[in-house]
Amino acid sequence: MTQTLEITDIPVGQTGTVKRASVIGRLLRNPMGLAAVAVLLLIVVCALFAGWLAPFDPTRATNTVLSSPNGTHLLGTDSTGRDILSRLLYGSRGTLLSAVIAAVVAIGIGLPAGLVAGYYGRWFDNLSSWATNILMALPTMIVLLAVRAAVGPNVYVTMVVFGVMVSPGFFRLVRTATQSVRGELYVDAARVAGLSDVRIIGRHILGVVRAPVIIQAAMVCGIAISFQSALEFLGLGDPTAATWGVMVNDGFRTIFRAPLTLLWPSAAISLTIGGFVLFANALRDALEDQVKTKEKRKAAQPKTVSTAPVPDVAAVPATEHLLEVRDLRIQYPQPGGGRTTVVDGVSWFVDRDEVLGIVGESGSGKSQSVFAVLGLLPDNAIVANGQIIFDGVSTVDASTSRIDQSALAALRGRRISYIPQEPMSNLDPSFTIGSQLVRPMTRLLGISKAEGEKRALDLLASVGIKDPRRTYSSYPHQVSGGMAQRVLIAGAISCEPDVIIADEPTSALDVTVQAEVLDVIRDLQTELHQGIILVTHNFGVVADICDRVAVMQNGRIVEQGDVRTILRNPSHEYTQMLLESMLVGKKPLTRLMSDSATGGMK
Amino acid sequence: MLTFIGKRLASGVVALVVVACLTFVLLFTTSGNIARNIMGDQASEESVAAKAHELGLDRPLLARLGSWLWDAVHLQFGKSYFSEQQVVSAMVSRLPLTLSMVFVAIVLTALIATLLGVTAAVKRGVVDRVVQVMAVLGASIPGFIIGIVLVLVFAINLRWFPAVSKIGPTSKPSVWVASLTLPVIALVLNGIASATQQIRSAFIKQLELDYVRTLRSRGIPEREVLFRHVLRAAAPAGLTVLSLHFIGLLGGVVIIETLFALPGLGRLAVDATTQSDLPLVMGVVIYTVAIVVVVNLLVDIANGWLNPKVRVS
Amino acid sequence: MLSRRSVLKGAAVGIAAVAGLSACSAEDTTSSAGGPKELVIGILAEPSSWHPAQTHVGHLLQPYQLAYDSLLLRQPDGTLKPMLATEWKYTDDAKTTLQLKLRTDVTFSDGEKFDASVVKANLENFKKANGKQVAMLENFASAEVGDASTITIKLAKADPAFEYYLSQAAGLMGSPKAITGTDIATTPVGSGPYTMVKAESVKGSQYVFTKREGYWNTSLQKWDKITLKLLIDVTARVNAIVTNQIDATLLDPNTRSQAEAAGLTLLQWPVDWNGLLLFDRGGKVCPALADVRVRQAINYAIDRESLVKNVAGGQATVTSQVFGPASGSSVEGLDKLYTFDQAKAKSLLAAAGYANGFDITIPMTPGDDITSNYIKQMLGDVGIRVAITAVPAADYQGTIGKGTYAMARFNLFQGPTWVACNQLIVPKTLYNPFQSTNDVIAPLLEATRGAGDQVGEKGKAVNQYVTENAWFAPFYRANQLYFYNAKKLKVTEQVQMAVPSIYNYEPVA
Repeated sequence: MTQTLEITDIPVGQTGTVKRASVIGRLLRNPMGLAAVAVLLLIVVCALFAGWLAPFDPTRATNTVLSSPNGTHLLGTDSTGRDILSRLLYGSRGTLLSAVIAAVVAIGIGLPAGLVAGYYGRWFDNLSSWATNILMALPTMIVLLAVRAAVGPNVYVTMVVFGVMVSPGFFRLVRTATQSVRGELYVDAARVAGLSDVRIIGRHILGVVRAPVIIQAAMVCGIAISFQSALEFLGLGDPTAATWGVMVNDGFRTIFRAPLTLLWPSAAISLTIGGFVLFANALRDALEDQVKTKEKRKAAQPKTVSTAPVPDVAAVPATEHLLEVRDLRIQYPQPGGGRTTVVDGVSWFVDRDEVLGIVGESGSGKSQSVFAVLGLLPDNAIVANGQIIFDGVSTVDASTSRIDQSALAALRGRRISYIPQEPMSNLDPSFTIGSQLVRPMTRLLGISKAEGEKRALDLLASVGIKDPRRTYSSYPHQVSGGMAQRVLIAGAISCEPDVIIADEPTSALDVTVQAEVLDVIRDLQTELHQGIILVTHNFGVVADICDRVAVMQNGRIVEQGDVRTILRNPSHEYTQMLLESMLVGKKPLTRLMSDSATGGMK
Repeated sequence: MLTFIGKRLASGVVALVVVACLTFVLLFTTSGNIARNIMGDQASEESVAAKAHELGLDRPLLARLGSWLWDAVHLQFGKSYFSEQQVVSAMVSRLPLTLSMVFVAIVLTALIATLLGVTAAVKRGVVDRVVQVMAVLGASIPGFIIGIVLVLVFAINLRWFPAVSKIGPTSKPSVWVASLTLPVIALVLNGIASATQQIRSAFIKQLELDYVRTLRSRGIPEREVLFRHVLRAAAPAGLTVLSLHFIGLLGGVVIIETLFALPGLGRLAVDATTQSDLPLVMGVVIYTVAIVVVVNLLVDIANGWLNPKVRVS
Repeated sequence: MLSRRSVLKGAAVGIAAVAGLSACSAEDTTSSAGGPKELVIGILAEPSSWHPAQTHVGHLLQPYQLAYDSLLLRQPDGTLKPMLATEWKYTDDAKTTLQLKLRTDVTFSDGEKFDASVVKANLENFKKANGKQVAMLENFASAEVGDASTITIKLAKADPAFEYYLSQAAGLMGSPKAITGTDIATTPVGSGPYTMVKAESVKGSQYVFTKREGYWNTSLQKWDKITLKLLIDVTARVNAIVTNQIDATLLDPNTRSQAEAAGLTLLQWPVDWNGLLLFDRGGKVCPALADVRVRQAINYAIDRESLVKNVAGGQATVTSQVFGPASGSSVEGLDKLYTFDQAKAKSLLAAAGYANGFDITIPMTPGDDITSNYIKQMLGDVGIRVAITAVPAADYQGTIGKGTYAMARFNLFQGPTWVACNQLIVPKTLYNPFQSTNDVIAPLLEATRGAGDQVGEKGKAVNQYVTENAWFAPFYRANQLYFYNAKKLKVTEQVQMAVPSIYNYEPVA
């Protein structure tokens, strides 16, 4: 019998489209980004219009030496009686020029070299990587000193050399990005379509590379200014130039007579470098792939284990099920305010000795709801509504709708466990399989390491691994996908949990291996009597081992009930459509799906 | 693993030789009348020419490069132009001070940057913002300005530390600590700032990987997930960041030692540069690059060891 | 995970521990009364080699005085007294034969005995070694050993400054065995009051000397231990002296107030003149300078008073002549010969045919930019367009001496008359790169050379000539600003020397 939903508010399903705000917009909305842009603009204006803005000639020596800020000289005068404000304004030119030369040289070398090395590879790649390694092994300051010893004080030469020294950063950045894009299928498609390499590089790769290069360029500008002023401070610069570094040197000499003469150029240098650094940071934040916008209220963090789950003082809502989810609503905040709803008023339950399948397309919210059960939603997820009760303990409270992490910390692994989807990326590559199996057991069950090892070997055998000892001592990169998935299953059952959540456990596997893994799961349940939740998009799997099934679309459950009933007589049109879209039993050369479109996903 | 080490060592040596040749050519083709600068004001043209001949400055460049390399292999780096000191003894006498500063600095950077970076990565929110602001401040103010402020406040005003180095050959450890505290602080502040950012990014990248969630699902407490697993996975990136910082520190000591009058390698580099004392400049470059090669090798080995794919092969 | 609080606590403990450790080790130099007498001097430059033939002047004479004695001892006021030589006199009217009587009770720190053959060996070695002050022995022809305590020096030409030189670099005596070897370059071996403690001395950092047992003149041996601490940067020096890490050092107008505020005592005396050397009196590089009116115009264009105020912090005396008062050749009215008169400068230029000014290039070293800027501006105001080229400090003297520049600014010490002539005016010298000479000055120089005791008087004519003919454009005579801790010692200045002789430092009882 299809269970009808009893819910309080009308579910609307997933709402809101994921907004991708423009990069500039995001940058300027970030207060640090705004400040950075303002500072940099200020410096540029000073540099461009120094001639108009400066009240005095920056080289004009006068008799009023080392005066404090006053009406005529707004920032005072230096040791030769020159107006500090004017020198600051003109000095911005030298500063910006240094930064620009360094950045241009660095990008001019690193960008093309990285593109060619990443795209074409082979000997050029080897040669340039080797050259890069040598450059990176040289302390920049020492090299600048050696150059200075050779050619004397010349800011252009110094900054060009500096640019060469930092070009490896750009080279590596561009090369990595180019290599990753080159491997993309659409580049192959472009080549097949006959686009020239230049056009491919220009069109596709430069677009990817543009942002990281700008960020790196901002950092390089900041560092270039720091180096140049350091050299001038040491007295190794050109003393005839009116630059900020020379002003710091001058101020340092007169630091006891007039400390402010040191303050102004130091502040100018720090402010400019800070502007570049902030700009780079803000731009990086604005470009983050996952728009991890967080609302002001922090979501709960997973906490360390407490001794026992604190029983909910408020009346524990009665439920006869092992695990029940009621009216769960999960939302994510959007950049610029607002929220998207990914799971909207979902309810299901599971008991011992039964397998519940949760079926739906990608993006329907099925994985989200099980993560909520585990308490492993991403940091910025908001549980807006709902209750989750496990064995009488409320892990998501009815009144506050907060995930109770301390309760869940005691349950995870021990009473509720999880089999992830993609086997290879879910094992820690630095630890042997054996240690990853044993550790949770020794921790949660309190057994000795020797006992843990024995059990682990037994578990590996029980999930159908031929040579448990060998797998036990192997690292994840040494085993196949199928074996890894079995290992993950072994891990999930190792502490004998009451509920196992299997998130598309067979999607990443070959068909034959799929069947074996399903057998393993089924056998285990016969032995251990857990409740199993199987999340999948594959009705074949559902038909194979599930007892009950819930069909999700757009964050809602559209149909839920006994497997046989639903498969034979789907009452909701979405379920019907899904069933129809399976190839098995399909008449050849007919349309796969009916024309009525599915709901918009994203 | 051994072939791995061998290959890295070989490439390090090659790098050293290439750098030596390039530096030699750079210095000796572009510098002016070396012999005149050495002999000084009063010398006659004949004595200047004699000096030039004595130093072999009238031989062709490549021949001189060859002899220099040959001597270098025997660890003979010649003599300073302006003093009677052997380059090797000049380097060796100054290494302990500089190396101990750099070593303490890198350890401090590693500890503090890891602490702050991991905290910022895990807690996010307000803590993250604060750490980021601190990092920006630390990265914006150049090291020499920080050094000046430190000297003014802590040495001159508060007299907690000496204003100029008191370290001599027979100094006790407490003198070393006293004289090196302010310089090391000035040295590390910039580095900690940027290392924190980079470690934070590396850590966040790891936190977003699938296996972290799976580990949590196994009931492993958060502390163990972070410190036993994520930190270890982020370690190679962190080590790479720190090795780059080490290279940067070798440059940073130049300014700090000059500011605090510390008789280390950095000060020697500046003095040798101002005087165009080319053998010493060569010596500084070679020794510095050699140190970098060794440290990079150690980091590569550590990374190789950390990476099971390399370790077991 | 470490909580914020525990981190802060840890940091606080760490800083306290470090500060505590450093406090324990804060051996500042105010030693307790009755203890060993220890002196720490901050120096600006260190000897590149301790071989006595490499000795220089001023700052780079003082360190050598610790380990080496000189033949004659120069008093703080400039008079010469016996040291290793007990008497000396010229035995001929041409003043080319100088006979000295020597002490017989002096031994070197390596046990060698001092006698006339040692003097001969040192003098010959000095000339051969071609050190920085080799020009002092330019007129040295030979030395004849009489007996163990008599030596006769023959000069090629009369040299009024020769006795002075024997109290300076040329007169330092090193152990005969050591001066032919190479070790003496790193460890001095002399007959002086102190010996170097190699274990505590580090090149580039500090040199430690202790009292030498068996020194023949305990009245000159006032300290048990002297440390020379190399602090090139003046800010480092003032930081060190106000925190009592050193007892005495040379500062500058910028750091003076800091030292005074810390209660240190100032000793000031003039040593250098600061100004322009107008080398190109023949007009080879800059034709304009050949005309004396142009050179005088330059003199009138400089506002010396403001330079004294702005550059020297008021610690200087305006002057137009290069000979100092202590030399005996300075002339009363000449100090104020050239006043600041832009109109006069312009009219002189116009009369010389340069109504529209001319271009000239001068060199500058880092640290020198202040004065150079003023020069550029002041000359610019009368129409002389000055271009400035940055030259590395190490190359400066060599560059000037090559004749690349028509004029250059410099600080030169004002020594005794003939030393000054030798330095600036005689044709074959570094600071006369174009070898300017003519029929008027040459005989004046010769007269001065042969003047014997009257060298000061005769020198006045030379002074008058070069000043009126604007061979130079001096600005001022600057005072050395030497600070010391009066609670611990008393220092007396040494005339015409950049820092006091080491013998001038006395502990306070």
